[in-house]
Amino acid sequence: MIVVNYLAAVSLFSMGLYAVLTKRNLLKIVMGLSLMESSTYLFLLSLAYRARSTAPVLLNPPHGESASALARGDVADPVLQNFCLTAIVIGVAVTGVFLAVAVRLVQHYRTLDADKVRELRG
Amino acid sequence: MATRKKLSRRDRRDERAIRDREPTHRRGVGAVLALALAAVLGVTVWHLPREHASLSVVAREAMTVAIPKWHILEPVNEVVYGTRGFDTFGETFLLLAAVIGIGLIVRSKEPRDEFLGEELAAAREQHAEVTRAANAGTEQVARSAEAAEQGQRRGPPTPDEEGLGAPWPERSDAMTVIVRGAVRLLAPLLAICGCYLVAWGYSPGGGFPGGAVIVGVVLLAYVSLGHRRVVRVIRPGLVELLEMIGALLIIVVELGGFVFKGSFSANFLPLSQLATIPSGGILQAFSGSEFIEVATGLTLAIFGLLGMAHDWANEEETQKSNKPIRSSPSRRGRATQQ
Repeated sequence: MIVVNYLAAVSLFSMGLYAVLTKRNLLKIVMGLSLMESSTYLFLLSLAYRARSTAPVLLNPPHGESASALARGDVADPVLQNFCLTAIVIGVAVTGVFLAVAVRLVQHYRTLDADKVRELRG
Repeated sequence: MATRKKLSRRDRRDERAIRDREPTHRRGVGAVLALALAAVLGVTVWHLPREHASLSVVAREAMTVAIPKWHILEPVNEVVYGTRGFDTFGETFLLLAAVIGIGLIVRSKEPRDEFLGEELAAAREQHAEVTRAANAGTEQVARSAEAAEQGQRRGPPTPDEEGLGAPWPERSDAMTVIVRGAVRLLAPLLAICGCYLVAWGYSPGGGFPGGAVIVGVVLLAYVSLGHRRVVRVIRPGLVELLEMIGALLIIVVELGGFVFKGSFSANFLPLSQLATIPSGGILQAFSGSEFIEVATGLTLAIFGLLGMAHDWANEEETQKSNKPIRSSPSRRGRATQQ
């Protein structure tokens, strides 16, 4: 039933996209982007899940198995967990840049409304 | 007559509803696009491998080479710093680029230190400005004297110098003595936990979570002790230097493989016994450098955002809109009425 997690991630991503497309408040746009990022974390970790498996850690394997036996056995996917780790760090950094730009825009234009930030046009 | 009255009331209500509604942008188009994307992605993920699928070849490879090739018991760390080390290398510099970007965006106006001839050219304006500032200064002195007469005392310079049960409330830039004491006790322990996560990286842990823990410690200190006293320790000059050292160490560790083994991010350090701190060869060195990089990078980003000064705006406009904020509450009310 892990497909429910996939679908939840898809709906979270779409909600984030809807917020980015329709909101005019800059902070809400950043929140929408954050929601899209979070949905990818959920998706990657759900994709890494395997039924009746254990964590991909070879230290102290459970049920008296040896570490090399565990390496051949069924574990959660470590590569996708690595992707998630990467995504989290990049997500934090990118959100920081967005927020810094948003604060500067507010200081410059005195509004959070993205439609009023138009002096660059023309 | 009655119907017209009712209509007008409804009109007024509609008008108020329109005015109060949050401004949005093409909600219909946005909904259609978001739903279309959801449908496409939903069909895609429906056909993805589920929980009963076998592990991918890459994951199996990472699991099997972790012990013989790298002497490490944590395949995720093996993937992050070993098999996909090049990707993590790129990610590190993406993080560095983001931090530098934030630093550039949040920087305030810098004083120029070279001779530009402005002093001579603008002597008259400068004189007017100095006079104006001096007048503003006397006004400020008068206002603070007035406030002192009305009994609005200010507390001591730092919250720690303030006696318990003092007549005035504690300054809002720091939390109460209970929170400060707890944080003083806990912050070193948490910092040690962060370092432990990195040093014992052959079990779950590593540079990224360890760095995040250190950022948490810095934020705890910031929230409880206040900005003024934390920035004395977390100086940008020091943290930036540390971050550059971390980045340099990562480059050295990754290029070492190229120099000694002929391939970028190959292991060139001796592998020691399993389940010891130096057991992963370059993995642990990379992880430690990444720890420095993540901790200092995120600290710089957060402090850059928190310390964003009121700057860059149009001068007259700034003065106009700053007036109500700087003046006292009663004056603010008057300013809004005007």
